[in-house]
Amino acid sequence: MTGHPSSELLALYGSADLPLLERWRIRRHLSRCEHCERQFSIFRASTVELKRLSANETLTGFEAIADWSRLEREMEGNIVVGLDASRCIEKKRGSRGLLLKCAAAAGMGSLFVLGWATHIPGEQSVRIFTALRGAFGGRHANEYQGPILRSVPDGIVVGSPESSMTILHPSTAVVSASGTAGVEARYVDESGQVTITDVYGQ
Amino acid sequence: MCMGSKFLAGLFLALTLGPAAGATDADPNSVPRWLTFDFPRDSPVLPVSFAMGSSTAKIRGTSMMLDLHASFILRNVGGKALSGLTMRVEAPDLQSGKGSVTVPSLTVQPGETFPVKLDMEILRPISAGRMGTPSLVQVALDCALFSDLTAYGPDELHSRHMLVVYQLEARREREYLALLLHNQEWSKLRDELNFGLPEESPRSLGLEFIHGPLGSVANGRAFAVSPVVFSGAPVQPIGGGAEVAGNEVRGPYVELRKMSNRSVRSLELGWIVRDDHDREFVGGSIPVTLSTEAVQSVKITDSGAMRFSNGIGQPMVIGALRAFVNDVEFSDGKVWIPSRADIDQATNDPVLRHELANSPEQQRLAKIYRLKGTTGLAEELKRTN
Repeated sequence: MTGHPSSELLALYGSADLPLLERWRIRRHLSRCEHCERQFSIFRASTVELKRLSANETLTGFEAIADWSRLEREMEGNIVVGLDASRCIEKKRGSRGLLLKCAAAAGMGSLFVLGWATHIPGEQSVRIFTALRGAFGGRHANEYQGPILRSVPDGIVVGSPESSMTILHPSTAVVSASGTAGVEARYVDESGQVTITDVYGQ
Repeated sequence: MCMGSKFLAGLFLALTLGPAAGATDADPNSVPRWLTFDFPRDSPVLPVSFAMGSSTAKIRGTSMMLDLHASFILRNVGGKALSGLTMRVEAPDLQSGKGSVTVPSLTVQPGETFPVKLDMEILRPISAGRMGTPSLVQVALDCALFSDLTAYGPDELHSRHMLVVYQLEARREREYLALLLHNQEWSKLRDELNFGLPEESPRSLGLEFIHGPLGSVANGRAFAVSPVVFSGAPVQPIGGGAEVAGNEVRGPYVELRKMSNRSVRSLELGWIVRDDHDREFVGGSIPVTLSTEAVQSVKITDSGAMRFSNGIGQPMVIGALRAFVNDVEFSDGKVWIPSRADIDQATNDPVLRHELANSPEQQRLAKIYRLKGTTGLAEELKRTN
């Protein structure tokens, strides 16, 4: 070695981070150079002092370099704390979302009840509730259980909810009863021809 | 539809319809097993081509829904002009009902063809399997009516009578409109055919039939059925009644009196419903067979119930009920329908008069008038008269 080693090299020598040959050359220089020996002693004393002071403190930038394993533990701890914190926030958000959903459902429910009360006649309500009661809790003996024949906006349906036949027609068709067990739809198709569809219950 | 549903739909079709499922071949008798035709060999009308269009099968819960869109071309292979046709439509596996497609107001000369469309949905449990029927839907000829009012076909649905009524109504409308055109009564013509034009779509009616044991209803009240009398009718309604609760009519009855000495075989009773907004609809018609010639008056009753709603399913509150005799068939097979004069004299209400005169031919000619004007209507009347 021709000159004095730099401060960085001395610091790295102190933390045993130099290659073997470089470490040997620094050690050899320190044994002969009082100035560098003093410089190195200051570095080592500072490092020892910092380590002692930070034993119960947060890691410093220097210590991060000096003690990777501790840095790793600290990082893991921070990650765990972060994850726990995010879980807490999620729970807060989740409970707020649940509240919003409950409020929306309550609003829709109120609107449905209001619409029902103003649009569905009482006897229809009784019939629907009776049908629901029948579906979930058994039917009354005198209730109609045969095939249903009815018109819907785009067709005439005969059958049951599980098995049915529907003859379709345009929504502009004129619908009327055909006899005592049939429904008829009459319309002019795109070719200008009149078509009449009838559906009969058995 | 997810992949599983597609797979199930495909599997179902493969099992139930065989290799021909989804075929769109033109041969109506051999290939398509979605739908088969049952036309007698000596039928004056025969299918000549057939297509299934965009027909599909879908899974819906534990059921399979078949969406059929069939269109076929029929040819008049007989020697007389064809005036109307009714075909039976049945889904034999379902056994819950049947349907029909009627094409009235035809003027199909021998050798000419005409199109017919059939759009339908069939919902059936996936587990139902096949019951040995040749196809899911069977289309059969029920009755073909010719211009001389003779008919061909088994007439299982009693469609011959209705085809004759439609043809007589068509002749009445064509003659009446031709007279208006000849007399250049443009205002009357507009009133007749532009009626309801601001409402681009007709007022729609929803219906539901209930037969079988009926429970009691709250707020049911007795309603009188008002008769609409045509002066020239051989049978006239004289009154009637029904129990009405909200949108439901139960046990309607009408009393009829015979006004002619001629023997009557049957008649068709039409009835009109007025809603709480004073709008009137022809609710339907009931065929009545009169068995005893000597009886001068008869009471027609029906034990069932019918519920009314508007087109979107909202219950319709019944305001009034009317009944009229739509047509009468005498024992010699001749049919009476009200003339234009009978309809004009029956009521001063233009809406009711329009409802009484409304026929398939009037509906068809009104569309021609709206699309092609007076010239188009005149050409059509020249072609058909």
